[in-house]
Amino acid sequence: MSARISREDLRKLVAEWLAAGKKVFGPVRVKAGLELYAPLDSAEALLLDGWIRPANSIKELVFPRHEALYGYRILKNRVELVDLAAEIPEQIAIGAHPCDAAALAALDKVFNWDYRDEFYNRRRAATTVITMACAAHDDQCFCTSVGLGPEAERGSDALLHERDGGYEVRAISEKGRILLGGLAGETACPTAQTSGANTPPRRFDSAQVAAFAKEHFEDPYWAERALACLGCGACTFTCPACHCFDMVDEGNGREGVRARNWDACQFPMFTLHASGHNPRANQGARQRQRIYHKFVMYPDKFGEVLCTGCGNCSRNCPVGLGVLPAATEIGNG
Amino acid sequence: MDNIYQPDLMEIAGVRQHTPDVKSVKLRFQDPNRAGSFDFRVGQFGIFSAFGAGEATFNICSSSNWKGSIEFCFRKVGRVTEALWDAEEGDTVGFRGPYGNGYPMEAWRGKDLIFLGGGIAMPPIRCAIWYALENRADYGDITIVYGARTVGDLVFVDELDEWARHPRVRVIRCVDPGGQTPDWTGEIGFVPTVFERADVPAKNAIALVIGPPIMIKNTIPVLERMGGAMSNVYTSLENRMKCGVGKCGRCNAGPVYVCKEGPVFTFEELRAIPMDY
Repeated sequence: MSARISREDLRKLVAEWLAAGKKVFGPVRVKAGLELYAPLDSAEALLLDGWIRPANSIKELVFPRHEALYGYRILKNRVELVDLAAEIPEQIAIGAHPCDAAALAALDKVFNWDYRDEFYNRRRAATTVITMACAAHDDQCFCTSVGLGPEAERGSDALLHERDGGYEVRAISEKGRILLGGLAGETACPTAQTSGANTPPRRFDSAQVAAFAKEHFEDPYWAERALACLGCGACTFTCPACHCFDMVDEGNGREGVRARNWDACQFPMFTLHASGHNPRANQGARQRQRIYHKFVMYPDKFGEVLCTGCGNCSRNCPVGLGVLPAATEIGNG
Repeated sequence: MDNIYQPDLMEIAGVRQHTPDVKSVKLRFQDPNRAGSFDFRVGQFGIFSAFGAGEATFNICSSSNWKGSIEFCFRKVGRVTEALWDAEEGDTVGFRGPYGNGYPMEAWRGKDLIFLGGGIAMPPIRCAIWYALENRADYGDITIVYGARTVGDLVFVDELDEWARHPRVRVIRCVDPGGQTPDWTGEIGFVPTVFERADVPAKNAIALVIGPPIMIKNTIPVLERMGGAMSNVYTSLENRMKCGVGKCGRCNAGPVYVCKEGPVFTFEELRAIPMDY
């Protein structure tokens, strides 16, 4: 059985969540041409039309750009560590795209292989992802080249399909069922996964990208491709799946916090040794690392690519780089 | 909540200054329960913190047979190591670990051991040397070739003398040409050349080679000429790390996370991955 909800009722639902004190994130229009996932202060702020995908991703809900790991207090030669882990309120991402939700499933593995990162896990457990299947795509979308699609359900707790002025609602996980209750159906939408106008064409073969990155590790291609790179890291920060972080002390000699902040493989300091040696001494090596991590290293460990085809790295790159231009060149042998 | 990033609090139980910018520090767990249960393998590393400055990664350079304390050694080169430099006996620092794979000391049993080290690379070799000496019957002849740029850059010098007094242990000291003092009695030359001159049977030996990239690069062909198998030649990589537990994403060398799958690799393994270290 599938269930339907009108646009008005969807906004009412969001209003109810907000009234109940839940944190709700969704796409909002910051200004013409700039949409972001942001906390909604009202149900009206939720953007339902006229956008392809926000310039950021929902990873901030589970992996904030800044997070205190614990506090420290220094009293003469003794140190006291302070637990700063506050209760994580229930949070909902409404209107995430499949390329956002799928990234959470990939992050789950990184943050839990062997050592379990409870900072991540607590936020993940408190988060329900209500994904909106994509109604359109642009020339930067390439989910179908990395095994996903505009209606893929990986990582989502429920999926909304736009139909006849409203939405078909389907619960995917127990969390989705609990949040939506009787509003959600259980059956898949009848639409075929990869045929609609919402489906980007397959733009490259990710196995070929992996093969090139492995076999042409020292190829001059990387340095040439990176000549324009500014090393700004926008690709990594706006990526739903990039998860590299730095750990620093913020405070003084008496008290402070040890925090983790988003970091980027595009920065020279990222791999700089204390000796001055840097294994990735130029921007070409850093651009290669981003492709290598997503298409070789992560798949080696976890059996899938660490890229969901959202296209954010290219959309946000000031000089037109990112996964898609590179993968199109090296993944179409 | 279980916090994998929260360090153990350690009291500094001793500080030794080796050179104008190298110290080693002995630490004891402040929590007696943790002190009693702590164990590690030589070759594993820790992430050490000076609160207010941050964390840095060092090998645990003491033997795993020494209960009750651990040691690490560092050169003063940055924000964290400058803060550690100023720390005194009785002060508190942080420790997370042990992390990484460590040396396969059990697999090395019955073999001759060759330790080749350069400069500040002695600490990660020192732990294995002590371990082998403390389990002396398990290992064959031990050769230690240790070099530095100058006499003043050698660390753990007193222990070199102590090791040399053990049966079937040969210790060869060297300094780069020009780095000797008038009373220097060791060799003059680079580690690979001095090692080749020493004519050590390498064919069935285990070699542990740690030092600056140029020393490693020039030592490997020597070992190969002497018949050493690359599956028996080990090193410990030093890729920059933050988390130590395979999350923060920076220490990979090609497809391997150095923090979890390393830091100890054979050259056979290293030749199968890209030069990303």
